[in-house]
Amino acid sequence: MFWLLVALVPLVLGGALLLGGAGALWPDPRTELGRAILQLRLYRVLCGFVVGAGLAVSGAVLQALLRNPLAEPYVLGVSSGAGLGAALVITFGFAARSALALPAGAFLFALTTLALVYALARQHGRTSIYGLLLSGVILSSIASSLLLLLLALASTEGLHGITWWLLGNLQGDSTAALALGSTLIAVAFLVVWWLARDLDALTLGPEMAHHLGISPALVTVLGLGCATLMTAAAVALSGLIGFVGLIVPHALRALVGPGHRRLLPASALAGGCFLVVCDAVARTAFAPVEVPVGVITALLGGPFFLWLLRRRAAGWME
Amino acid sequence: MNAIELQHISAAYRESDVLRDVTLAVAEGEWLALLGPNGAGKSTVLRVITGLLPARAGVALLGGRDVRAIRGAERARLVAVVPQELSTPLPFTVGELVTLGRSSAHGRLARPGAADRRAIERALAYTDLLELRERPFAELSGGEKQRAAIALALAQETRILLLDEPTAHLDLNHQWEILQLLDRLNRECSLTIVMTSHDLNLAAEFCSRLALFDHGALVALGTPAEVLREERLREVYHCDVRVRHESGRAPEVRPERRPQPAAGGRAKKVHVLSGGGSGAELLRLLVLTGHHTSCGPLNMGDSDAQAAAALEVRAALEKPFSPLGAGALDAARQLAAAAEALVLAEVPFGSGNVALLALAEEALARGARVLVNTRNLEQRDFTPQRVALPRLKALLERGARAWQHADEVLQALEKS
Repeated sequence: MFWLLVALVPLVLGGALLLGGAGALWPDPRTELGRAILQLRLYRVLCGFVVGAGLAVSGAVLQALLRNPLAEPYVLGVSSGAGLGAALVITFGFAARSALALPAGAFLFALTTLALVYALARQHGRTSIYGLLLSGVILSSIASSLLLLLLALASTEGLHGITWWLLGNLQGDSTAALALGSTLIAVAFLVVWWLARDLDALTLGPEMAHHLGISPALVTVLGLGCATLMTAAAVALSGLIGFVGLIVPHALRALVGPGHRRLLPASALAGGCFLVVCDAVARTAFAPVEVPVGVITALLGGPFFLWLLRRRAAGWME
Repeated sequence: MNAIELQHISAAYRESDVLRDVTLAVAEGEWLALLGPNGAGKSTVLRVITGLLPARAGVALLGGRDVRAIRGAERARLVAVVPQELSTPLPFTVGELVTLGRSSAHGRLARPGAADRRAIERALAYTDLLELRERPFAELSGGEKQRAAIALALAQETRILLLDEPTAHLDLNHQWEILQLLDRLNRECSLTIVMTSHDLNLAAEFCSRLALFDHGALVALGTPAEVLREERLREVYHCDVRVRHESGRAPEVRPERRPQPAAGGRAKKVHVLSGGGSGAELLRLLVLTGHHTSCGPLNMGDSDAQAAAALEVRAALEKPFSPLGAGALDAARQLAAAAEALVLAEVPFGSGNVALLALAEEALARGARVLVNTRNLEQRDFTPQRVALPRLKALLERGARAWQHADEVLQALEKS
């Protein structure tokens, strides 16, 4: 099953590279226009893959750490924080000055939100799962309110920019941002993969993990940090794209089993492919109009997730 | 060397003390049960042993080494824990779950090696789970889940196994199944076992030693016969218990049903006139509801007399198989004189016991309440001149209350 996924990756990426607004066409790389088109598509496909992989792995890790099937990359307020950061950058006109300003703003605010959530959830030297979830929800709504305030006060262009970014968009133009985001996601992925067996044990509860020779506190902090890093990098690259982090790990558990040693790489590959396919649909389904990719992930992912919930085949027993 | 040693351990969650100066050593190959009421500190002892809760004072030694100085992966090879209820939100199969027991034994990202697989097979074999290894853990029954939890701990291949109430959620046959499994592990592998338990009898049956805790202190430590003493258990559990010590058998603890005071009313003094087993159930109910009960006259050996003796009810007694004589009647009259109510049971009347009616008539005459059983009234008069029936009817006419079921007696006593 796993190797099937690996084989799927070049097929999906190659296919997506061929697809354009005008249909399946290989642009002539000898012309300047052809090269430009190829470059744009390549950026987009790679960005989609990296973002999808980051979101899916982050979702899988958070679901294990929070022992909650509904956990997803945005659950700890990361999305609203990043959204607020991006909106501030756009409103105050930094976005026009540097291509890196928006991703950087989103990234910093995402991390700040997580740090706040974590600090709020920590009491008497312990971090409770409910504390994390609750403070995540509350900080998330505070950030959302501030975001709405900014939207209400924003100029027309600013409004358009913020909204477009919030809906999710894989077409960036900064190769530097893509390289940086990819590196962060890759490093964070390696760390959580290295923690795979600890994540397995931690789903039995922190006490059992302790008995099995694992330090629950260390694994939780590392895991939360890496998951947030991946999410923040993905959000900075592409805006808010929902559902990938929620449904991909669920679907993959049914295919490769719940063990994280296999689940995490499988989620990365499948999440990447899923987002690339969704983006290909977003680019071509209503051509020449381009639909935000977040709309497609929700439209494809929502019904699928409902079906999964009804089947309960994803195996969350509680 | 001792497998586990606790030296003057005090431990606390936040502010409240849960263990106070506990000193306890567990020898290798021993099976020790930690007993005591809820909140006595049993589970906390387990937490201190595994280093989950650092002791506020004192030292916990595992194989002679301070548990706080032992690194996680190494500790997981010394001591394994079976929690009260193992659960995971993920759809692990039994095999995958048991593999988690090897979490810190094999290399990161490596598949389990030959040694790991051997440990897993052995754990599954001991717990009789080889055939269930592909089944999702969540679909197992309570007993199977507990076996899987034990298999997970066995896969760690430790010399010490700690269990937190291993039989708490199980029905009788699964309780025995689990304890017999532990017994086998204890004997065949000389595994050191420490478990908390609420079941004093199961603990006495299987464990070599018991440790009794109360309010965070160790109050008794020794063999089951030494620890399970009525006085001590009464103090610790605030409950009346009887302990039966029979040679060659584990002591057996049985809580005594505590008499409930009559609901909504004060306890009454009641005298029961019966015989031939007609009053046994009534006597039991009166005693249970806390009424001050007496009875008689009864012939010795009569089943009502036996019931009275077992219930520690005062009874006026006559020689076996004899008519009720003046001595027994006088003794009964004295008991009845103190009673606020006299209850006449469904007793057949003959020349030997017709004197019972005299006691009832006297009581009614002095204003006490009299309750007369009226079931099969017409068929119970075996006196030569059939004198009993008219006297019974006269009692009812003069204000005695009729009853048929014992509940009616209890209700009537409550109302008065």
